[in-house]
Amino acid sequence: MKLSKFFGRFSLYATVITLCAVLLFPVYWMILTALSPASELRAYPPNFLPSAPQWSVFTELLANHPFDVWFLNSLKIAVVVMIISLTVSVLAAYALSRFRMRGAQSMGLFILTAKMLPGTLIIIPFFVIFRSAGLIGSLWSVIIAQATMIIPFTTWMLKGYFDTIPNELEQAALVDGCSPIGSIFRIILPISAPGLAATSLYSFVISWSDFLFARTFVVTSDSLWTLNLGISSLKGEFVTDWNIVMAASLMTSIPIIIVFLFLERYMVGGLAAGSEK
Amino acid sequence: MIDFSSPRHRHKLGYLLVAPALILMALIIVYPIVMSVDISFQDVKIARIGVDRKPWTFENYEWLFTSAKFYQSLWVTIKLLLVVGGAALAIGFATALLVNQKFKGRALARLLVALPWAVPEVVAVVIWAWMLDSSFGVLNWVLLSSGIVSKPIAFASDPVAAFASICFVMIWKGYPFICIMLLAGLQSIPEEQYQAASVDGANVFQRFLHVTIPNMLPVLGVAFIMTALWVFRDFAIIFVLTEGGPIGSTTSLAIMTFEESFKFFRMGQGSAVGVITLIICALLSRALVSRFAKSVN
Repeated sequence: MKLSKFFGRFSLYATVITLCAVLLFPVYWMILTALSPASELRAYPPNFLPSAPQWSVFTELLANHPFDVWFLNSLKIAVVVMIISLTVSVLAAYALSRFRMRGAQSMGLFILTAKMLPGTLIIIPFFVIFRSAGLIGSLWSVIIAQATMIIPFTTWMLKGYFDTIPNELEQAALVDGCSPIGSIFRIILPISAPGLAATSLYSFVISWSDFLFARTFVVTSDSLWTLNLGISSLKGEFVTDWNIVMAASLMTSIPIIIVFLFLERYMVGGLAAGSEK
Repeated sequence: MIDFSSPRHRHKLGYLLVAPALILMALIIVYPIVMSVDISFQDVKIARIGVDRKPWTFENYEWLFTSAKFYQSLWVTIKLLLVVGGAALAIGFATALLVNQKFKGRALARLLVALPWAVPEVVAVVIWAWMLDSSFGVLNWVLLSSGIVSKPIAFASDPVAAFASICFVMIWKGYPFICIMLLAGLQSIPEEQYQAASVDGANVFQRFLHVTIPNMLPVLGVAFIMTALWVFRDFAIIFVLTEGGPIGSTTSLAIMTFEESFKFFRMGQGSAVGVITLIICALLSRALVSRFAKSVN
């Protein structure tokens, strides 16, 4: 009995480790390639273990490509989109969670529509609208487009979270003389920190990963390129310097992986709260 | 100034709070949808607001339903949906079951299996493009040295291999979300059901078949539809990896919509493809409607 239990444990760990190794191999390969000297990339058989890491790849990346510009543009977009979508969806989600409203059902329809909309379809009217508003070739076009696609889902996530907070808390605050708006900021938001974290993470990941909107609205002005546009252009070159491409990819992934590592547990909880109910 | 704390005005506050979201949605979701339907019924190259409106015509849809390219793209999309949906669901379910077990380091394992979700699509594409490189790619080395193939596979130029490479990226990007959703589903199965099954003498396999599967079927259904919606609409993976080629073998409806509108600048026809895609997605997600409506109320 003891022995079989030991083997059970052992095979469980073996399976978990193998699975993680297989599923995360592409990430490992990106890191390894980025830090390998260019000459080693054509080795046969390929080197699976790192040799001396070549940090010079990053200076080469910055010297030969406007990587810093791409990074800054992506960061600007992601932060502004996060602020907009969080503000709008906190208010909307709170209202949907706490007030009986006519037409609240249509919110569900909105969320669903936004989830179903093919991005490649919506960019056609977006393009037309932004062009007449003079926003083509401005980061705002990308920001507005992204916020639109993100807000319905973040509202839904947050509403699921607010629903779990008992109403009595705010009522107590109201009795104590707190204003209804004040009770959102003093009572609801502090308790909802995990939900807010999950929502911000979702917004950040989605906008940091955007390719379609940037490709359509700002591709013609180099100074507005985002990381994803830049990386796709590196790959497009006839001879690809894979260590440079992987270094750029690594730099693009790091911020998002850090955010993900800190907020993953909230994310899972948040998604679960949204999808379970 | 209205006093929102008085019960008479309290409900007004609700409308006030929801207003920014509603206005935003109306302006940038409803209006564009109406507009793209409108564009799809006009013979326009590059659409503009206000100026030279063309009369309504069914030309774009006539062209669409008689064009071989549309049916090829539809077929490519359906194939993608079946392969990616099936494989991602299988991997996602397997990983969810595994990291739902109790073991030390479980939190870390959960973090790691979900990690590809956070990798940007374009980054995922270039990693796989490098791994699938026909001369120096690591996958070709594995296939060659294990004797599965005798000469390297040209993932970029062979239509079948190009399709497979799209599937690899999509499965890798798509399974974590399924895993996260299914994990939440697994955690909500009441422990008593397993205990009751054990008392009745059910072994591990029977418990899985008679407790886990029936409980998970609705969640599995939702996960599949979510994946299907994603496959139908995704643009970046295919566009960056193959641009829909070679010879249209990876052109999905989403890619075709983009090509018509922004490569050939035939926005009327592009919108028609997009509108058909939207209708298909709407039909696909009908099953989700009642669920969403319920969750919002």
